[in-house]
Amino acid sequence: MTQVDQSLSKIKLLNPTYPNKATGIINGESSGLLNWNDIAYPQMYDLYQTLLANFWKAQEINMQDDIKQWDSLSETEKDIFLRINTQLASLDSLQTPTMTHVMDYVTDSSFKAIFAVISQQEAVHNESYSYILSSIVPLREQNERFDQAKEDPMVRKRNQLILDSYEAFRENPTPQRLFELAINSINLEGIYFYAGFAFFYHLARKQKMLKTSTMISYIQRDEMQHAYFVSQFVRILLTENPELNTKENIQYVYQTVDKAVQLEKEWADYILKDIEGIDIGEFHSYVEYLANKRFRQIGLDNFYPERDNPMEWIHVFSDEMMNETKSDFFEQKSRTYTKVSSSNGFDEL
Amino acid sequence: MKAAIIYSSVTGNTSTLAEIICENMSKYTIETDLIPVDEFHPEQLHNYDIVTVGTYSWDNGELPLEMEEVFEAFEDEEVKHITTGIFGTGDSFYPYYCGAVDIFRDMLYVHTNLAVTLKVELTPQEEDLHRCKKFCDRLASEFAVVS
Repeated sequence: MTQVDQSLSKIKLLNPTYPNKATGIINGESSGLLNWNDIAYPQMYDLYQTLLANFWKAQEINMQDDIKQWDSLSETEKDIFLRINTQLASLDSLQTPTMTHVMDYVTDSSFKAIFAVISQQEAVHNESYSYILSSIVPLREQNERFDQAKEDPMVRKRNQLILDSYEAFRENPTPQRLFELAINSINLEGIYFYAGFAFFYHLARKQKMLKTSTMISYIQRDEMQHAYFVSQFVRILLTENPELNTKENIQYVYQTVDKAVQLEKEWADYILKDIEGIDIGEFHSYVEYLANKRFRQIGLDNFYPERDNPMEWIHVFSDEMMNETKSDFFEQKSRTYTKVSSSNGFDEL
Repeated sequence: MKAAIIYSSVTGNTSTLAEIICENMSKYTIETDLIPVDEFHPEQLHNYDIVTVGTYSWDNGELPLEMEEVFEAFEDEEVKHITTGIFGTGDSFYPYYCGAVDIFRDMLYVHTNLAVTLKVELTPQEEDLHRCKKFCDRLASEFAVVS
């Protein structure tokens, strides 16, 4: 029986008497050796592979086009661009060490490996914001912008929700606090990025700063996998530890995600208000639609009214848009069928 | 009359959708077999009047690897007389939402009597239940007696 408020102990690196296949994701017995062919949740290997297949690095993206375009942006666009950039960087800065910290208390080695990959990707995201900044403004201004992000009361208020939970786990790493950390990690990766994403994709719609949005698109693709992994982690945590699967904790999820939703709306009101072409009311519905998706990912019901995606243009770029040559292990088959639609006599629902 | 639902699912969304469709089919007293893709053999296609295929989409809106065999079976077997429907789940945050449904749609239109397609975002919602019912209505209507 899991004592939800009892500290998890830091796991020894090797426990030779225990099996390689862990008996639990927390408080389990595990040798510490990882054989991917013998793991408790085989689907985690697929997820690991998917994460690795996403690999990218900032330096691969040539910023010349954006450097040339930067001066054609309005003063408002430039200001918002820099503020969103540093705000997103501050979120990723939290995520890198937190993911490695969690590794110390997770007993299943396959989950540890995935947390390690996620942490690495967050480090790349962090670097990409620096890389963008270095292309467009001098160091002095970069530092001013980071200071601005640190002092901005709105940014602080948003970060506080996450920080409180992450710090609580650092102070006393209990199963309950791990669960809460995971929910806040979904808030960070699955909700808090989206006003920023909206801004960069909006510029992209106007054919502006496309190299930056290419990076944003890579980041979104990674974050989607992270939010998916963390939601799987939550489901498994609750299933393996029924003591955590309580009404109060389900309530906690609804309340905490709702708080993040309100904060994201507030942030959007503030940061996107002068951006022509983004309808703030529509963005509010978008955040609710987004949160509903997160609830369903962890197996809960919608909290907000059911609706279709109100801002379909916020999405990962297609391979064609990124001019990406496929580096798949197998060649994609070329298919020769003509595109058909409901005018050909069938129904499209 | 016999129907089959051949499907593949990773996260459980497509299998949930497959089950909802299977339940709806039984309301028409159409005997329906639910076939996960790893139990599928191409020659099975000949046992059915209606075949529906359920698939998720991968990455850039592509077919999942394990669905290739099903795709090729429709190209290779004699299936002109079979009424088909294609359904799938996807995530509109990726390019080519439910792209694998479109890939199947274009092929099924050529090789079979394609009746209906259905796309659902992630887990089926209340509203999707009506769409599932319509999906089955459409398939069954192909066999309605014209008086």
